Amino acid sequence: MEAIDVENISKQYGSFYAVKNLSFGVPEGSVYGLLGPNGAGKTTTIRMIMNVIIPDQGSIRVLGEKMSEDMKSRIGYLPEERGLYPKMKVGELLAFLAHLKGFRGQEAKKGIDGWLDRFDLSKWKEKKAEELSRGMQQKVQFIATVVHKPELIILDEPFSGLDPVNTKLLKDIMLEMKESGVTIIFSTHRMEQIEMICDNICLINKAQSVLKGNLAEIKKNYGKNMIILEYDGDGRRIREFPEVDKIDDYGKYMEIKLKDRADPQKFLTFLAGKVRVDRFEIKEPTLNAIFIDKVGEKNE
Amino acid sequence: MNKILAVIKREYLQIVRTKTFILGTVLGPVIMGLFIFVPILVSVMSVGDQERIGVIDASREIYKELENRMDFKLKDGRLKYVLENYELVADLEQLKDTLNQKVLAGDISGYMVIPENIIEGGTVEFAAEHVSDFDKISSINKVLNTVIVEKRLKKAGLDPGEVSKYMEEVKFVTQKVTKKGVEEDTGGTFIVSYILVLILYMTLIFYGQLILRGVIEEKSSRVVEVVLSSLKPSQLMAGKILGIAAVGLTQYLIWAVFGMVLTSYSSSLLSSFFPQASGFKIPSIPAYVFVYFVVFFILGYFLFSTLYAAIGSTVNSEKEAQQLGTPLTMMLVIPILLMMFVMRSPDSTLSIVLSLIPFFSPILMLLRICVLLPPFIEILGSIVLLVLTTVGLIWFAGKIYRVGLLMYGKRPSLPEIIKWVRYK
Repeated sequence: MEAIDVENISKQYGSFYAVKNLSFGVPEGSVYGLLGPNGAGKTTTIRMIMNVIIPDQGSIRVLGEKMSEDMKSRIGYLPEERGLYPKMKVGELLAFLAHLKGFRGQEAKKGIDGWLDRFDLSKWKEKKAEELSRGMQQKVQFIATVVHKPELIILDEPFSGLDPVNTKLLKDIMLEMKESGVTIIFSTHRMEQIEMICDNICLINKAQSVLKGNLAEIKKNYGKNMIILEYDGDGRRIREFPEVDKIDDYGKYMEIKLKDRADPQKFLTFLAGKVRVDRFEIKEPTLNAIFIDKVGEKNE
Repeated sequence: MNKILAVIKREYLQIVRTKTFILGTVLGPVIMGLFIFVPILVSVMSVGDQERIGVIDASREIYKELENRMDFKLKDGRLKYVLENYELVADLEQLKDTLNQKVLAGDISGYMVIPENIIEGGTVEFAAEHVSDFDKISSINKVLNTVIVEKRLKKAGLDPGEVSKYMEEVKFVTQKVTKKGVEEDTGGTFIVSYILVLILYMTLIFYGQLILRGVIEEKSSRVVEVVLSSLKPSQLMAGKILGIAAVGLTQYLIWAVFGMVLTSYSSSLLSSFFPQASGFKIPSIPAYVFVYFVVFFILGYFLFSTLYAAIGSTVNSEKEAQQLGTPLTMMLVIPILLMMFVMRSPDSTLSIVLSLIPFFSPILMLLRICVLLPPFIEILGSIVLLVLTTVGLIWFAGKIYRVGLLMYGKRPSLPEIIKWVRYK
């Protein structure tokens, strides 16, 4: 069964399409990445899944049912625009947000204490949210997303603004939840995060889906014509090779996509004597390369 | 419903626990009480000092009589005003200079100059370092008046005792005709109406602003979408408005209890300590006035708070909100400006029409109820119109609120906001 089934949804503001004819399915128990440049329509899509805004057309099924208000308590949602009531005490605030999800009483109290303990925030429970540092507030927001034991978690740009320590903490918890059977869908414009965590992706650009499916398969289908090159010398001479399709040059490091059916061995022979080759690796394309290929370099 | 209750509880507790609320609710009436009692207490308790007042009597006819009549006593039985006669032997200006020096030195608190032609209609001058003690000025003026008028009458061959009998001021009592009969009303209705309407006005503005600020805070702190992941915008708005309404009613309840204690004990308390103040009485107010007061607070509150909530949702800061909120606040200020007119002619056609207009009716209909209970059909009419308008506006405001909450950045223009209403 699919945890989320989005079918042909569109959302229009005046003549502007925020999302157009978008369809995708999130397999249960998987980690799903919604990928796209800023303004592509990721947040609008997520808001429609959450019933915060209503699609103009199309249908959304969540956890096997038509999305409705009652479903909200089974979902944990971390919006892109997220915050806390500044004047509320952390403990009360979490209890309030859990109560809204129908999670209350002794069990809720235990859950909140457990999470606060895990994030090392126990001694902040009686403090007002505004007294917390930004990093601590982000942890509290995350607790609010998961404390009611949702079956599905939707995270909109969860890593934005997190320091490396909290990024790792969040990633670990996401994997842990995946292992316990929770479905996770999250959006980002950062490729490396998707590549490391996601099973499936949907790449959105300009309101429409341009690529979707299993990440490993996508990469495989893209062909093994990606070359990682570390070199010393005049990069311009490398470009002279006729079967080069795209180059992402960093000065001493290069990601090169060859044209379809080009032979990497010929390329290596071509390089010999023109530049000093320190590393030559033939591999599947990085998501970054696929992204740029699909969306165009202007967007990154 | 459970979710709305959670929101109501949060709003209620968050506000009731703030210092502003506690101070405003508890200290408000205490301060009001102090305003009423302190001046009474001060005037009742202070003994006062003797004052020396100089008199230059150029007519040489008034001083003796004036001294006899100036018999105001202090609490300890001494004379309050001690007059000192200054004979006008040489130049008046020179004598005045001398007395001015005495006033500045504090030897005398002031002096009066009675001109030679006082019987024929001259003017008495009173000079002092300050002339803001109305009690003193009017006492002196009164005694002076009596003495001089008597002299004038005698000169004309009339008997002052006889004339004063005819000049006795006409007794004039104001009464209010009600269904229960005729009651005496010495301006109490005016004061009570005024106070009740002002309380209604201030609380409507205060709680409207509270809603406005609450919505802006939710938006600017970015917590709103977190909350919307659990409930509908309409539920959030309903919970917020009901929660703050509960705060308002709590505040009224505390004030009402305070007011009842004040009215039932104030007279006896005051008079037991200070027999002089036994005449002090707070006018009694019919119970129906309070019922209508609460009804119009609730209805007016719903009308204004939904609009304040909608405004709050479209802006990013309180500064922006002020611009948009001004027309709405004006809708509360206009009836206050019309108050005097309605109070003077509560049953004129214009007053009736004004008190039926939904935005004005909470204040103006309540005012009419206080001053002159209008026919029930008019009250009912204003309530029905108010309810219908509010229901329509809740629908309208809810649409704006729902879209506005998630809009950040540039403040939308009015046409854009109207467009939101049509969004699915």
